[in-house]
Amino acid sequence: MANRRFWIGTFAALLAMATPVAAQEQGAAGRVKIASGSAFIVRAGAEIPAVAGAVVYEADGLKTGADGRIGVTLKDNTRVSIGPTSEVSLDRYAYAPGEGQFAFAMKVVRGVAAYVSGQIAKLSPDAVRLETPTAIVGVRGTSLAMRVEP
Amino acid sequence: MRGDWPRAILVASLAAACAGACKSTPVVEPSVPASDLVVLLVDADTGAVGRVRVSNAEGAIDLVSARAATRIVANQPPSPIDTLTDAQVVQAFGDALSALPPPPLSFTLHFRFESDELTDEALALVPRILQSVKDRFVPDVLVVGHTDTAGSTAANLTLGLRRAGVVRDLLVTAGLDPTAVEVISNGERNLLVPTDDETPEARNRRVEISVR
Repeated sequence: MANRRFWIGTFAALLAMATPVAAQEQGAAGRVKIASGSAFIVRAGAEIPAVAGAVVYEADGLKTGADGRIGVTLKDNTRVSIGPTSEVSLDRYAYAPGEGQFAFAMKVVRGVAAYVSGQIAKLSPDAVRLETPTAIVGVRGTSLAMRVEP
Repeated sequence: MRGDWPRAILVASLAAACAGACKSTPVVEPSVPASDLVVLLVDADTGAVGRVRVSNAEGAIDLVSARAATRIVANQPPSPIDTLTDAQVVQAFGDALSALPPPPLSFTLHFRFESDELTDEALALVPRILQSVKDRFVPDVLVVGHTDTAGSTAANLTLGLRRAGVVRDLLVTAGLDPTAVEVISNGERNLLVPTDDETPEARNRRVEISVR
């Protein structure tokens, strides 16, 4: 009983801590704009449901099941989306033009992904690096898609 | 006794058959190796075709035209370019392309010289900005302050942030949800019009707003 109450209390506290994340987060790389079906943000090994409005951070992954789709708009206006049975990881992300800091590194682990470049590719093209299991994709703009077949 | 000899033959021939079949099966059956496909697309919003270099340890290839694609298999250079049809693009990539968020909308507001006061033209844009936010499903807004090169880099970084803050406050006062706004400064490091240092330039004194 007491134990259960403790867990409920802990859960409520976690929820309270989690809620302000919806507020503007320092360090947020971007936000989920489109999500349908089985769709997750992978953060530190845990799968969090990817819902429209959810914040995405550097080092997060995006992952979908057979009916899932996710579209994300990043802080620099880069857009990324994945189709069903797909997974990507946003290994590096930095956008601080005032300090001259730019980084965008994304790996397509499996499935299908689309990319439309934003300010990072414009201001610092060499900072953009897309990867598939067999190749590196250097981007000079603007729109491309990748498919990784098992 | 009688059956020993034929049985020996049977065992031997089975072993021979297996040696042939079991060993050769993976070689004879053409297995499809894992491969990646990369395609350069026409930017749906601008009509522009960019440029992409696909490379690995074995080689590199540049995709420079609409729907130019290369296939990559481990330990081999990217394949020669194959231009896909629209239908092939939809078939291979449509599931991801349909999930791309709508393009961000950008607005530029200008400031009076060395001040954080908006021009009248800038103020007149505010209702359109608010409407574009309302039109979005889950809106968020990035407000980026910029300066010209007059003054020190550090002072301009601060001035850019102040300008962005002025715009944020204006939008929030006009009804924008403050939790959906982020403010950053580019200072003098992202000029709209390239100039030498210490050059007043009205077009560089601006705040850029991305609504997405």
